[in-house]
Amino acid sequence: MLRVAIVGCGKIADSHVSQIQRIKGCEIVGVCDREPLMARQLCERFPIKQHFSDLEELLSKARPDVVHITTPPESHIELARFCLEAGCHVYLEKPFTLHAEETERLIALAIEKQLKITAGHDDQFSHAARRMRSLIAEGFLGGAPVHLESYYCYELGQSAYASALLGDKRHWVRQLPGKLLQNVISHGIARIAEFISSDSPQVIAYGFRSPFLKKMGETEIIDELRVIVSDEDDTTAYFTFSSQMRPSLHQLRIYGPKNGLIMDHDQETLIKLNGVRYPSYAEKFVPPLDLARQYLRNWTTNLRTFLGRDFHMKSGMKFLSESFYRSITEGAPLPIPYREILLTARIMDAIFIQLNQQDSRDQVGRTAPLHPATTR
Amino acid sequence: MTNLFTETHIHLAEGFSPADQGELVHQVEPSDSIVGPDDLILVTGASGFVGTRVVESLLGRGFRNLRCFVRPSSPTDWLGALSTRGHGAGIEVLKGNLLSREDCAAATRDVALIYHLAAGRGEKSFPDAFMNSVVTTRNLLDASLNHKCLKRFVNISSFTVYTNRQKSRWGLLDETCPVETHSDWRGEAYCFGKVKQDELVTEYGQRFGVPHVIVRPGYVIGPGKTAITGRVGIETFGFFLHMGGSNRIPFTFVENCADAIALAGLKKGVDGEIFNVVDDDLPSSRLFLRLYKRKVRKFRSLYVPHVLSYVLCSLWERYSTWSQGQVPPVFNRGRWFANWKRTDYSNQKLKTRLGWSPRVSMAEGLNRYFEACQNRESNA
Repeated sequence: MLRVAIVGCGKIADSHVSQIQRIKGCEIVGVCDREPLMARQLCERFPIKQHFSDLEELLSKARPDVVHITTPPESHIELARFCLEAGCHVYLEKPFTLHAEETERLIALAIEKQLKITAGHDDQFSHAARRMRSLIAEGFLGGAPVHLESYYCYELGQSAYASALLGDKRHWVRQLPGKLLQNVISHGIARIAEFISSDSPQVIAYGFRSPFLKKMGETEIIDELRVIVSDEDDTTAYFTFSSQMRPSLHQLRIYGPKNGLIMDHDQETLIKLNGVRYPSYAEKFVPPLDLARQYLRNWTTNLRTFLGRDFHMKSGMKFLSESFYRSITEGAPLPIPYREILLTARIMDAIFIQLNQQDSRDQVGRTAPLHPATTR
Repeated sequence: MTNLFTETHIHLAEGFSPADQGELVHQVEPSDSIVGPDDLILVTGASGFVGTRVVESLLGRGFRNLRCFVRPSSPTDWLGALSTRGHGAGIEVLKGNLLSREDCAAATRDVALIYHLAAGRGEKSFPDAFMNSVVTTRNLLDASLNHKCLKRFVNISSFTVYTNRQKSRWGLLDETCPVETHSDWRGEAYCFGKVKQDELVTEYGQRFGVPHVIVRPGYVIGPGKTAITGRVGIETFGFFLHMGGSNRIPFTFVENCADAIALAGLKKGVDGEIFNVVDDDLPSSRLFLRLYKRKVRKFRSLYVPHVLSYVLCSLWERYSTWSQGQVPPVFNRGRWFANWKRTDYSNQKLKTRLGWSPRVSMAEGLNRYFEACQNRESNA
């Protein structure tokens, strides 16, 4: 029986506990939060025997094999390092760390200690994402991806999280180097990193404040981001983060030399795009029918999965955790290769460096009108 | 005072009279009050729907030294409205976060009476509701213990904490009614947060001797709140499911509720007590819905008979358990008992112990509420 512990008893910890409970062959042996009341409330709502407010005590008394770290990102590096030093495998929530250099250090430490570590990119393991991965492995694209488009949007102004963030200048998300973007975009960037072959792709980022934020007088947070990623094998990718566009997409479009795919995370649909054109007017009548058939098939697949009791909102988290545990107990491959975790961190680093430079240029542009090219 | 705060002092000119010039029918005699007009009173959540009215109610009773604690994102334009009425009172506004112990220490310094209205609804998140209701309350209580000058802590709870599972149909729900023992099973984060908050306040009363009163309002209505309570029904997929039927809905008009809260803090000899707040002449769910449709907007609704709603809630609960939470247990028998079982309500204790009576009649309160809803509809 694999012994699992949770560190950090906030909102996302509920999802971890719910999904871990569904996995056979493991048990949650303790939870920890530096706020004892938060640790206690999690224990009271789920069948967990022990709660702690000190990590060292959790590790020594509950003796977990795996620790899920679900704390705010600035604490990730130290907590993960502590757990690895103590001999525990680590599931680290996204964003993995604040900087790529910290990601490198953690992965190096895990390798040195012969332990395993994974990132909480659970969106990559939804039912639709897994079907997409299988099709690509079977060669559906007809070769390496030519181009990807990853959309990861967030509706500002709708949630309590957003109003707390926008209203509180001391909110922890504002302390992150990439602020709101750092806390949100890693799922969308990880989808690109999976298919980029270079370890240091070229990244061009452009960010700005939406009219919605400007109207609120917001001067720190950037809520619109467009990124181009390009690797040496000529695979390119666009990444879009938007708080304003509707629908608020969470989608990956991937195009190969032969065919393409559209994976929609919200609808859990996977649509095949046929690369061969039909002659003349047939192109206007046959593909729409084919798309209708595909959507119907997706609908029945979703219904079947729902009836089979495997369509939980966080089913990707269950699959990722299960795969990670299997890599520990059976030596199976890691669900997310270290290279991919690292590449995600590097792309995010490159984005935030450019946004900070852009912000500095904007400041200069505002105070020095002789250089209009630097102002937006 | 930490420099992280935004601090505003507003001194009101002479001549203030209570909100809307309404007559205050239940003044507390100075000899019957635990605090004097110059003692410092803290109101958390002071810019909220009820909080602003509590501040007004206290000013109307002649209290001149108020500290209003609000979130950094809270609007403070309501203070301007107060200042135009004038009173010669001093209102200090602190912007901060009750999750910060430093902020709580600053907020509770020299405070004789605390009205704790700030709360986290949590939306669907239990940890959020818990953190913003229980952890914040603990911080506030700890801070006031350190200052050693607190005469009473008024904890604002809610009707949501009660269970009437064991009561007969049309049984009376009063302060003796049991509280949910497994509040998390109700699937309502707010209920969980409030039950735990009440437990914490009671525990601090027993362990550290913190003098406290718990106030549990029913569903508060008034200008500024336009939602229809779930006790009447649920809007889903563009259709309104009417669940309440002939049930009486435990409404309290916001100004009446604020008066009750104010009195619960002031009156001598009620430490450790719990007070439910509901108005007189409660309308049935059916009557409320009819009036709402007539005065605010027309929409289609479907009445779900009580037996059917119970069966549906029960089935939903079972499916949620069987599917290991594939659908969250938002409908369950606990919620059905709390919201839709036929129940009667009492405000007798409020009247006899605090001398409260509703300043605004139910008919007038509903009119003002519908008018505000209608204005919002036409401005939307």
